[in-house]
Amino acid sequence: MADSLANRVAVRDRTVVAPATPVRARRSRARLVPLLYTAPALLFYAAFVIAPWLHSLWISFWDWNGIGVATWAGLDNYREILADPALRLSLVHAFGLILFYSVIPICFGLVLAALVANVPWKGMPFVRTVIFLPQILPLVAVGSVWKLFFDDDGPFNALLRAVGLSDLTRAWLGDFTWAYPAVGVVGTWVSTGLCFLLLYSGIGKIDPALYEAARLDGAGAIHEFWHVTMPGLRREMSVAATVTVIAALASFDVVYVMTAGGPGESTLVPGVAIYRLTFTAGQVGTACALAVVLSLLTCAVMFALNRLTREKT
Amino acid sequence: MKSLPSVKSALSAAAVLLALGACAPGSSSSDEPAADANAAVQTGVPSGPVELNLIATPESGAAMKDIIPAFKAKHPNVKINYVDTTYDDYNKSLNLALSSDTSPDIVLLNAVGTTVKDQLILNLQPYAKAYGWETAYPAGQLNQWRVAKDGTTLGSGDLYAAPASFSQVGLYYNKAKLKKLGIAAAPASLEDLEAALAKAKAGGETPLQLGNKEGHASFPIQLIGQSTDGPAAYAKWVFGEGGATFDTAGNAKGAQSITDWGTKGYYSKDANGIDLQGAVDKFTKGDGVFFVDGSWDSKKIGDALRGDAGFVAFPGPKATAIGTSVAYGISRKSKNAQAAAAFLDFLRGPEAAKASFAQGFLPSDTSTVTAEPGTISADLIAAWNKVNADDGLIGFNNNATATMNDTLVAETQKLIAGKVDPATFIRAVQSDWAKTHG
Repeated sequence: MADSLANRVAVRDRTVVAPATPVRARRSRARLVPLLYTAPALLFYAAFVIAPWLHSLWISFWDWNGIGVATWAGLDNYREILADPALRLSLVHAFGLILFYSVIPICFGLVLAALVANVPWKGMPFVRTVIFLPQILPLVAVGSVWKLFFDDDGPFNALLRAVGLSDLTRAWLGDFTWAYPAVGVVGTWVSTGLCFLLLYSGIGKIDPALYEAARLDGAGAIHEFWHVTMPGLRREMSVAATVTVIAALASFDVVYVMTAGGPGESTLVPGVAIYRLTFTAGQVGTACALAVVLSLLTCAVMFALNRLTREKT
Repeated sequence: MKSLPSVKSALSAAAVLLALGACAPGSSSSDEPAADANAAVQTGVPSGPVELNLIATPESGAAMKDIIPAFKAKHPNVKINYVDTTYDDYNKSLNLALSSDTSPDIVLLNAVGTTVKDQLILNLQPYAKAYGWETAYPAGQLNQWRVAKDGTTLGSGDLYAAPASFSQVGLYYNKAKLKKLGIAAAPASLEDLEAALAKAKAGGETPLQLGNKEGHASFPIQLIGQSTDGPAAYAKWVFGEGGATFDTAGNAKGAQSITDWGTKGYYSKDANGIDLQGAVDKFTKGDGVFFVDGSWDSKKIGDALRGDAGFVAFPGPKATAIGTSVAYGISRKSKNAQAAAAFLDFLRGPEAAKASFAQGFLPSDTSTVTAEPGTISADLIAAWNKVNADDGLIGFNNNATATMNDTLVAETQKLIAGKVDPATFIRAVQSDWAKTHG
């Protein structure tokens, strides 16, 4: 589109502008025109995404408490991240959350969408709204509610007691083994709605003729799912994975509200660590270094994900 | 390759931005000298209208709603605007507020932190001399706010904040439950306490109410530590004096006791999932014979348990308490330092003392307040006087470094869950301390 526009502009230029203008200059001007159209967006992107990121990168080379005088630290902040077991652990936790934020929700979403697509329900708009609801709630509110749910006097323990499993009750968020899965479950709860909706709309776009052909070939429901639905949803799954993997790696609100990283460091994620380093420890340089590492790792994962889900042509 | 120009321009834009920002972050070192400790200052409130902004936290600043009108009655030309923010947010935003162009005049200080090092608050030494604060308060009550020339070592040097009132952490107990268990009096030694805990366990009670979601197991550890090591020696570590160590006999005993009490089931196995307010609620509902907590919760506990609520200084050879003052400093950017200092002086007067005590905070001079015998208020005063007679008030271990609170939360959680042994716990705490003071 931009390309054809450029050609048109170039053609018009050639006819109107005096032939004295050197060809080279005309050609480069023609190239710049389409760029002009993207300038507003580019400017915003540069000012509010690229510039702050570069600024963080710059600060990550300094030893600075956020207020006082900064001293040059070189790569010391990066060495500190590698040397600190708690910070390394936080990165591992972030990657672990991908299971809860992406893998399980996409699987749930797929199964739900396939089931619902086959059976046209009257109550569908209502079901859709309910499943999508977690997406529109502020995560801080979500975290607070789930924190109460897992409380030692909370509904989850009450439920266990009601069915005679009182031996299993515990303060889930204060338990070294269970706090991490408990926090993860919230991610699954939040992400499933989005994945379901994306995949459901994707199924609607698959050519019904494909299903018909499969059926004629004698494929059952499961075969249909594997050989028609799944390949047809490649794009939607890629979008769902991209959005939820970023949410997993950048998680902060839910963890901060529910456990603040505890007990011990068992639920510490980079978001919480960065927040603590900045506002409590006054190690803004180290915090920025961790943020840079996290953003680079996120980019790497996105790159791999794109390669993996790219349509073969 | 069509995208090449945009990549190029983005890169060049980035280069420009980088060049623009290519200077050390933060302000350059201020050239003006730190306010001279011998500077001439005036006491009293200047004439003409003055407006002061004061910021605090809801708990510590609770008494301000009574103190500010009392001050205004004496000095009608001074208007004081009060704003409070929750504890966590307050501590995280204080330095930014002080360094901003709209800095408040008077600020609650929960810890010295980097406020002195970064030249954010005023040296109050001249006012301390002019108003005679150094003779009005026992030395131990001011030492927490003295900062040495290096800006980080506490306990000596010039004064940077004036205490308004004090909190103390001690041992709450449920009188009705002691009676039921046949325990005649509140424990006077650690052995007494352990015997009482064992008796409570045998009697089917929760011996000790403990919530460690926010790391409050560090209270009993510090209390056992400081009463074993002696307050004077113990305070060195809290103040960050060079060469001090957390690896003391007292702390080892404290960490071991907490571990043992857990093994014996003296406190809930869910302690790591219960926060302080949750523990207070449980204690007031009769879950727990003993409870280690600060005087700031005395009103809540007294209101709920009435005559059954008791409080003593933590049992030990010397009466010690963990405590700090609700103290206020003056921003270096304040244009009305003289009026602000006059307000700080007002904070040690009888009107302020009464207002603070009503909120569970103790005045420096307890003769200005009275309490009905048999109430938790009377217990608080008795414990406070005992602690001061033994010079046993020590600041919170949590304030030893900027990150110590987070470290103590994580490490006590590991300790009571049995993930680390007491020796590992002590090493982890000391290694945090050594990063700042080592």
